[in-house]
Amino acid sequence: MKLAYYPGCVAKESGKELDLATRWVCRTLGIELVDFPKFSCCGSGFIDEANETLNVAINARNIALAEAAGLDLMTVCSTCQGMLSLAKLRMTDAAVRAKVDAALRPLGIDYRGTSKVTHLLRVLVEDVGLETIRAKVRRPLAGLKVGAFYGCHLLRPADEMGWESPEEPRSFEELLAALGAEPVLYRGRVMCCGFPVQFVKAETAGRIAGRQILDAKDHGAHAMATPCPLCHISLDAYQGPAAKLVGRPLDMPVFHLPQLVGLALGATEAEMGLSRHLVPTGPVLAKVPPAGH
Amino acid sequence: MAEGTVPVPFEVYRYVPGRDTSPRFQRYTLELSPHTPVLSGLLRIRDEIDPSLGLRYSCRSAICGSCAMRINSKSRLACETPVGPEIARHGRIVVEPMGNQPVLRDLVVDQSAFWNQYQRIEPHLKVDPRHPMPAGQPNPMTPAEVDRFENTPRCIACAACFSACPAVADDPAFPGPMALAKLYRFVVDPRDAGRQDRLVRIQTEGLWLCLRCHLCTEACPKEVRPSERIRDLKAMAIAAQGATEHGSRHVVGFKQNIREGGTLNEMKLVRQTYGLFGMLPQLPHGLKIWRKKPEVARRPPAIEGADELEQIYRALDTEEKR
Repeated sequence: MKLAYYPGCVAKESGKELDLATRWVCRTLGIELVDFPKFSCCGSGFIDEANETLNVAINARNIALAEAAGLDLMTVCSTCQGMLSLAKLRMTDAAVRAKVDAALRPLGIDYRGTSKVTHLLRVLVEDVGLETIRAKVRRPLAGLKVGAFYGCHLLRPADEMGWESPEEPRSFEELLAALGAEPVLYRGRVMCCGFPVQFVKAETAGRIAGRQILDAKDHGAHAMATPCPLCHISLDAYQGPAAKLVGRPLDMPVFHLPQLVGLALGATEAEMGLSRHLVPTGPVLAKVPPAGH
Repeated sequence: MAEGTVPVPFEVYRYVPGRDTSPRFQRYTLELSPHTPVLSGLLRIRDEIDPSLGLRYSCRSAICGSCAMRINSKSRLACETPVGPEIARHGRIVVEPMGNQPVLRDLVVDQSAFWNQYQRIEPHLKVDPRHPMPAGQPNPMTPAEVDRFENTPRCIACAACFSACPAVADDPAFPGPMALAKLYRFVVDPRDAGRQDRLVRIQTEGLWLCLRCHLCTEACPKEVRPSERIRDLKAMAIAAQGATEHGSRHVVGFKQNIREGGTLNEMKLVRQTYGLFGMLPQLPHGLKIWRKKPEVARRPPAIEGADELEQIYRALDTEEKR
């Protein structure tokens, strides 16, 4: 399997551990990732709020780059996934398409809408398959109770994302179970992480993140995992302020999705970049038996 | 068991403030056809088992918007939620009152906050003298003008969106999805003289507190898609007045940030949003993040072909939203 890899801005910089883990996991599972140094930011939902057509155009350009290479495009971020999927959908509207084409054609960019936009979670569950992954697990995450946290834009609006139930998604939990972990079901897993208002009203962002972490904790989760680096910023990097705002200690390690896959497939903690997290992951991983036991 | 029926276990929230010490869930099991709406089940409970059950309803046809409640966690209309798919997915039907509003009795909530927010956006036409409305005469709009309303006229004010909204839950300053979708409807109405004033006011009255989580759009039984109309309002507010608030400065700053190299310069975005001095309170925690993730403070290398992005901005970023 060969895919155009769309890391998104955060995984290229402050969330580099996500990029490390993604590359390790894909290498191990035989997925060839093709880099496109010309990919731009997806707009992250912000450019969309200033100029929708511009946001569609920059993503149509991204998709067209993958199309020119004949590849489907894989994201590792719920927001990138949402924005790129939305652009594909908007490009089916003739009026939008005409405006965007008029901006792209002079640059020799020909958008056709033939490349699929998919997320690593979906690639693992649908394309690689849970049986294949289960067979390759070297260190089952036995006894680790994990609360999956999906990220809004992977799920909603459901008619635009077109994958699984936005209320009762199961793909992430099924993946966690295949890794030997014990998925924890809690309402917060489909809720907002607060990130979009981190720079508008930090207290709101912190309280919302804190509530979801508490929900996972109160349902017995030892750790959380997310397919979105923006949720990771909210849940991990800003967990300290969130704990103060909700008035309870949280101490909740938060993994990027491919980090848990990698650990189960035998990667070391260093290979997964775990030292870059603000909340230490060591204590919960110490409880997981080493490979071969 | 009657033919074609299945046992349907209900767990219904019961609470009378001032009388009960805490809420409880009461179980009832009914034999129902899978097509039966949850509302019909609740009415059977009330009429045949427990007349003290408090609930609000009227038309039973998804028109009046009275019977919104949380069914298996999702805010929606009880009259158009059949029991069958709920049983298939959850094995039971957990019924709770709407969220974000205080309970008066069982499934009945006090909707004052919802209606006060609606009132706050002045949901009435402020007639534009250039688009006069002759006394006793209709004031026609063209089909294209009507299209700009999108689905907002379909709103039945059921408050399912208000119930589902995490921004409402956190901050009473947030008007809520329904009020903002209604505001959109008046802002794009060519007969309304209040457009500029409405857009300027909403920038400081909660517009930027929307989390764009789309929970409202999922909850809405009428496909009003409030989160998308809020997005449109944000663009229109920036076009009307420029970026005056943290929220709008963040959006405009982000757009400029990406124009400069095609990829996000994280530290610069914080400065674009808060200004140099406004950044100071962010510093102590920012330093903690920087120690683990030093890239937050560096300027990332520009993408290849950043000039293409610049051409796209030149072609499309002149356009004003609507």
